[in-house]
Amino acid sequence: MISTELIAQSLLAGIVIGIIYALMALGITFIYSIVKMINWAMGEFYMIGSYVQYFLIVELLGTDLWFIAAPLAALSVFLVGYFLEPLLIKPMFTAGIERKDDYATVVTIALLLMLRNLATVLSGPYQRTPGTNLPTIMLGPLPESGARLAAAACALAAMALFYLLLRTTWFGLAIRASAQSRIGAQTAGVDIFRMDRIAFGIGVALAGLAGALLAPVFLVYPTNGIVTTTKGFEIIVIGGLGSIPGVLIAGLMLGIVESLGAAFLAPAYQNAYGFVLLLIVLLIRPSGLFGELMREA
Amino acid sequence: MALPVPILETSKISKRFGGFVAVNEVDFRVGAGEVRGLIGPNGAGKTTLVNLITGIYPPSAGDVRLDGASLVGRSPHQVAHAGLMRSFQVARLFGNLSLLENLLIPHLARGPHLALARGAERAAGEERAWRFLELTRLARQAHDPAKTLSGGQRALLQAAVGFMNPSLKCYVLDEPFAGINPVIKESILTLIEHENRARALTFVIVTHETALVRRLCGQVSVMMGGRIAAEGTLDEIVRRQDVIAGYLGKAGA
Repeated sequence: MISTELIAQSLLAGIVIGIIYALMALGITFIYSIVKMINWAMGEFYMIGSYVQYFLIVELLGTDLWFIAAPLAALSVFLVGYFLEPLLIKPMFTAGIERKDDYATVVTIALLLMLRNLATVLSGPYQRTPGTNLPTIMLGPLPESGARLAAAACALAAMALFYLLLRTTWFGLAIRASAQSRIGAQTAGVDIFRMDRIAFGIGVALAGLAGALLAPVFLVYPTNGIVTTTKGFEIIVIGGLGSIPGVLIAGLMLGIVESLGAAFLAPAYQNAYGFVLLLIVLLIRPSGLFGELMREA
Repeated sequence: MALPVPILETSKISKRFGGFVAVNEVDFRVGAGEVRGLIGPNGAGKTTLVNLITGIYPPSAGDVRLDGASLVGRSPHQVAHAGLMRSFQVARLFGNLSLLENLLIPHLARGPHLALARGAERAAGEERAWRFLELTRLARQAHDPAKTLSGGQRALLQAAVGFMNPSLKCYVLDEPFAGINPVIKESILTLIEHENRARALTFVIVTHETALVRRLCGQVSVMMGGRIAAEGTLDEIVRRQDVIAGYLGKAGA
């Protein structure tokens, strides 16, 4: 029996989770647009964000002040990225080596292993939760977890803020220019290495924010970033690497397909439905749905 | 003629790519307010010299000074901040940004990059940008993405973008007239002449077109085989047998 209510509820759940995954994908694609490299350690920045959220809530703020903890967690992750980039990434681009982005990408894989193991050493492999007092919210007849809804709302707000930053500020203009021509931006007077640094910080902060917002939903442990990062990569392949509108649309598609698949086919294969979608999109449009709009950042 | 104070000066600057010496101990001096032509056969090292001057390549040896201060070791954006701008043979515009935004970038690129709301700065920049949009007759397309422009218009916009640097002292244009229709060529020429007179700006213009060199440039430097082979007015240059032989030799090769 397929009820309209079940369809509506699955759609809603898919949209909610899709928006949060899109936040992660936005971070990946933004770093790629500016720094021209894939950051494989995004899940570990997600993990750091979730731990900061956990400790802020448990040690300092309490469960009810999660909305203060989340921006602080994102800010902490921004700072981690901002100070790591000149140490680990920039030397790959300034030293006299070939295939600079390949080397930078390999460095992020090393960073992934280091951060993951560091978290295990420091906090153990235990799953923690900051808890939530947000009640289940009824949207009409449909119940939805308060923590998930809040996370999706905050993710949307963060994406709107990000969009405003890109569209209305001088920094946004310089970033958009750097995404299109690094040498052009440089000779026009833009310090692109500074742009790289800030872009890396912002990109990982988006992952950190996703981690903080999802801490009560997907819990806090050293490898908790894997699922969301995998979704993030799926989304940028579906939407087209470097495309910001592609991120949001592909995020929603992925969330909805997985949610509907889990409800009507078999919940055990939830993650597989996303990959089926990905394969179909790649068959039809190998550069992703919005692949031609690359560098639209 | 008294020699003007050099604003741009290279001393014994060299660039080697492996065993190939693209620029060989070049002393190149351009006086303040001068419009200097830089000509020479293809492969003579003109663009390499431009890349050395503007910090795109680090020199293998030698020094570059702008207004007395060395530029060696500075990155391209610092060279731009110091007041030296350049254009590229293939216009490096930001295709998805509007013409207005393309013009604003050099104006806003100084100063702290984290400054978010620069209302007054931006207004001042837009005022200047509109002046150049009028001068280049591109005002109607001000809000269109730069990728919608024709090749000639791109070259014109790129030339105008350089003037937007508020600390501009010297502007190096690499082949600004290559493959461009006469109307737009005239616009670029007018722009250069106007800014040279109004702001006493210094120009170095790399080109193959002798008619334009005759009109714009008091002095011409000829590069051949990575060296400055001759300097003087165009009329002096064209009488030099070694220069002609160099051009023909290359052309026949």
